[in-house]
Amino acid sequence: MKRGVLPVLLVLSVLALVVIPFVGMQTLSWRDVLQSGSPESKIFWELRLPRVCLAWVTGATLSVCGTIFQALFRTPLASPDMLGVSSGAAFGAVLSIRLGFTFTLFSGLSGLSAFSFLGAGLTTALIYAVASWRREGVSSLLLTGIAFSFLFSSLTLLLQYSGNYVDSFRMARWTMGSIQTVGFSPVWTTLPALFLIFIVAFLRAPELDLFLCGEELAESRGVSIKRLRRVFFISVSLAVALNVSVCGPIGFIGLMAPHICRRLVGPVHRPLVVASALFGGTFLTLCDTAARTFWAPAELPVGALTALMGSIFFLWLLLRREPQRF
Amino acid sequence: MTSPLFEVCGLGLTLGGCPILDDLSFSLQQGSFLAIVGPNGAGKSSLLRCLGGLQRKFSGTVLLEGRPILSLSARQIARRIAWVHQNGDRDLGFTVEEFARMSRYPWKDPFSVAGWTREDSRILADALRVAGAEALASRPMNSLSGGERQRALIAAALTQSTDVLFLDEPLTYLDYLYQADILELAERINRERGVTVLMVTHDINTALASADRILALRKGRICKEGPSRDFCDPLVLEDVFGTEFRLFEAPGQTVPHVAPARMLR
Repeated sequence: MKRGVLPVLLVLSVLALVVIPFVGMQTLSWRDVLQSGSPESKIFWELRLPRVCLAWVTGATLSVCGTIFQALFRTPLASPDMLGVSSGAAFGAVLSIRLGFTFTLFSGLSGLSAFSFLGAGLTTALIYAVASWRREGVSSLLLTGIAFSFLFSSLTLLLQYSGNYVDSFRMARWTMGSIQTVGFSPVWTTLPALFLIFIVAFLRAPELDLFLCGEELAESRGVSIKRLRRVFFISVSLAVALNVSVCGPIGFIGLMAPHICRRLVGPVHRPLVVASALFGGTFLTLCDTAARTFWAPAELPVGALTALMGSIFFLWLLLRREPQRF
Repeated sequence: MTSPLFEVCGLGLTLGGCPILDDLSFSLQQGSFLAIVGPNGAGKSSLLRCLGGLQRKFSGTVLLEGRPILSLSARQIARRIAWVHQNGDRDLGFTVEEFARMSRYPWKDPFSVAGWTREDSRILADALRVAGAEALASRPMNSLSGGERQRALIAAALTQSTDVLFLDEPLTYLDYLYQADILELAERINRERGVTVLMVTHDINTALASADRILALRKGRICKEGPSRDFCDPLVLEDVFGTEFRLFEAPGQTVPHVAPARMLR
């Protein structure tokens, strides 16, 4: 592992969180922001800072989830969104909009979140069941994931088509993925997902290393692979579901960040998990800033932007001459 | 009298409707070097997987020092048995040292964050030295040649500090020099450290040269099990491999070299 990479990523993260809220259609100054009651301070504290925090939390969560999935499935092409988990979560969310559920479970977990969590969990379980039944490893897993991704996307489209204008617009807007927020409450909803997934990944990093070497080797080194696979699966789907339910599906962060970080800090998971969280957070914060400033006052859905960048990145991965290595 | 290290009774295994192992019974004492030989598809690797608890769907009993292997957790087994697998991932970006460090896993509290001790470092350095992999320590696994890789895998297995070592076809794809190196290394680990070695091989000469006991499988059954010298017999070998064998002895050689007659010109 190269020394100094983690501190640099940490500094970049802090800079992103501190500096970016001042940037936007209207550049804010310190003095205005600290003056309570001024419109500038309202923009800063109620719109921009929460938004930047939400972007950071989302980026970090998705990146750590991607890191876990890539080790678990032993393929650099795995990420929560490519394996259909995000589509499953999206379907759940769209279904709850269509059915008109507006109930709220304890402390801020809306019906939307509950449904999208169920969708993500169900998809994960289905993919896992099919893949382990076939036992043909990586390619069968990816194909299964793509199949479920298509299945849930088409069900989502059917629901959208059958809905009324208001619902359909909400659904369409939601499936693009966006980090718009007023106030900090979405941050508080998604922060537990980040805590959960980061703690799982950080504490279980030695097992992720072993998983990457193959399940047979991991088991012979003493990993209870079945139990641990379940732990990773459930925590990843919980984290993704919580996030998707707030921000919608934001693609490719979970694929790209682990790759880039593996280049930066190497394949050992304890530093890799930290680097992925920091990098993913900073990266999505920057993407979101671009999304809200490029065509200001109009705003791009950040999910579309990351998907655009991600697909180019994916092509580059496929076309690279050297085989992809962990 | 302590119970034998392994005691196998009526071991059977069926995978996908095909019988792989059929009613095997044998026992193995601590400190032995056992070679499991047999033709392709005889069930050699499957037997090793059953003994090591990686294959848990067998019938019959496998006892590790009197305790059923299925009653032990993966961690408990990993404290006794280290593996050198045949088909590991050849494309790992971990360095040899990073890879070997993972072998301390069964001795660690899974939730500890800063669990690496000076003792671990000592064990790791010792393992790299014994396996002759010191110079490879900072090389990525995917940059190693076949022989270097095998040394790295053995170093990792030694880092696991077990008293049993499982080698699955450790000499496959190696040239003669490395075959001799790795075989000597396995013998040294057995003799000097008292580690019980179980080695799967399809090559009877490898088995005769290094093992003190041989277990020959054919079509999932034990064809013969006993001291290696009992296998220096063309009739026994023909029975195991289904083809006629000749023995060759040179002066100063303690173990004959054998070859199938049909391969001789």
